[in-house]
Amino acid sequence: MSGDLDLEQRYRRVLRRLPRYYRDKWEEDMVATFLDGWLTGDPDEDSVTMEYDRPTREEILSVIGLAARLHLGGTGAPRRYFAWGQAVRNAVLGVMLAHAVWGLSQLALFARSRHVIGWLPPPPGGFWPMFGYATGYAWIVVFVALVLADYRTARVGAVLVLGADVAIVLHQQVAGTLVSPAATWAYTAVIDVAPVVAMAAFHRDAPPVRRWPWLLALPAWYLLVAVPVLWAELSGHAAWVPDVAGRCCLLLAVVCLFHAARVWTGRADTGVWSLTLMLLAAVTGLYRVISLPIFAQDPHLIMVGLVELLILALATALVAPDAVRSQTAAPAPLGYQELR
Amino acid sequence: MAMKSMTGQAFFVLTALADGPRHGYGIVREVVDLSQGRVKLKIGSLYGVLDRLSADGLIEPDREEAHDGRLRRYYRLTADGRRALAEEADLRAATAHVVRARLGLTGPEAAGAAG
Repeated sequence: MSGDLDLEQRYRRVLRRLPRYYRDKWEEDMVATFLDGWLTGDPDEDSVTMEYDRPTREEILSVIGLAARLHLGGTGAPRRYFAWGQAVRNAVLGVMLAHAVWGLSQLALFARSRHVIGWLPPPPGGFWPMFGYATGYAWIVVFVALVLADYRTARVGAVLVLGADVAIVLHQQVAGTLVSPAATWAYTAVIDVAPVVAMAAFHRDAPPVRRWPWLLALPAWYLLVAVPVLWAELSGHAAWVPDVAGRCCLLLAVVCLFHAARVWTGRADTGVWSLTLMLLAAVTGLYRVISLPIFAQDPHLIMVGLVELLILALATALVAPDAVRSQTAAPAPLGYQELR
Repeated sequence: MAMKSMTGQAFFVLTALADGPRHGYGIVREVVDLSQGRVKLKIGSLYGVLDRLSADGLIEPDREEAHDGRLRRYYRLTADGRRALAEEADLRAATAHVVRARLGLTGPEAAGAAG
């Protein structure tokens, strides 16, 4: 029980959030420095301090911040922590890429509203749809800023977009246009809030992102996936097009299959990308599960959603053994290339 | 390889070690004095900075001393750390000079105008 602990023990409990390798190196020194800040040398006063005082909230937050940076390791961190850091950074980029593709789609709809692209159907007008388009464009800015390592712009932009998204969902709930408010809030948390929080992985020690593959992925995804989906919807084949969560499941399953082929032919040797795909699969799978209640009135669509989930799970299982290899406790090699 | 820019906290920690080795709490107090109370390093922040500076070869352990039953570890600047600190100080001084010039705060004419 924390009531039986003295100040030193309470602080050591806080330090348990730090990785073991880091505690082995710094814990005793941190405890000594911490206690130096509290103890006066007066035995009576120090006795009371040790018994009743606790680490301040600011001290605890500073350790939590340090722990987050260390667990999502950058260059020079032990392999295990570096792998997690890279996987989270790649996964965040993947989710932001999906948001940016959605933003490009919004841009096309907006262009139609300005009569630039004649064959698209006219989008709904009014403040809230326009506000929705604006948040879509902002995701493009956030994604590009992240790829270009302008982390401050990316973070500020992401927080603003997040606020706008929450406002839009709130408006829809008040207007009574949400089919399943609980599901909508849940997947907003999973695909909007969680990736923005995980942007903490882009810290000072994070290696730079390889720009061109990520930047090219944006038009590639848009042209190869978003445009055909739009075409199918406009040509009367909408029933064959999975919803957004379903498309993400199937697309990720295809990527897993391609990556598994690379692993089997020995062209992916760090395991980091397998770990990335597992993280993305967890987010996407969760997104699929919590968006299913939207189809509560249609058992057929529920079944389709479950099949999408099964396909994703099977594809992810192919890369799981390789993801385990990323956890071996060797230091991250110098000059590490994330796309090997 | 391009050198990363130095953070304000790292600059203060290196400056605190410029005139001799200090232990962790000694650095915290010195940084408060140097910054005239504006920077109060928390322990998590301090050891994040110390770990990074140590990994970059800018500081190194100096010695350990027993104090009230605990070991205090002292740190000192390395030659690279001294060089990096001098370069950063020059850079900041040059930047400050430009800022003061743009604000019209440098030179005797500015002082005269102010008077």
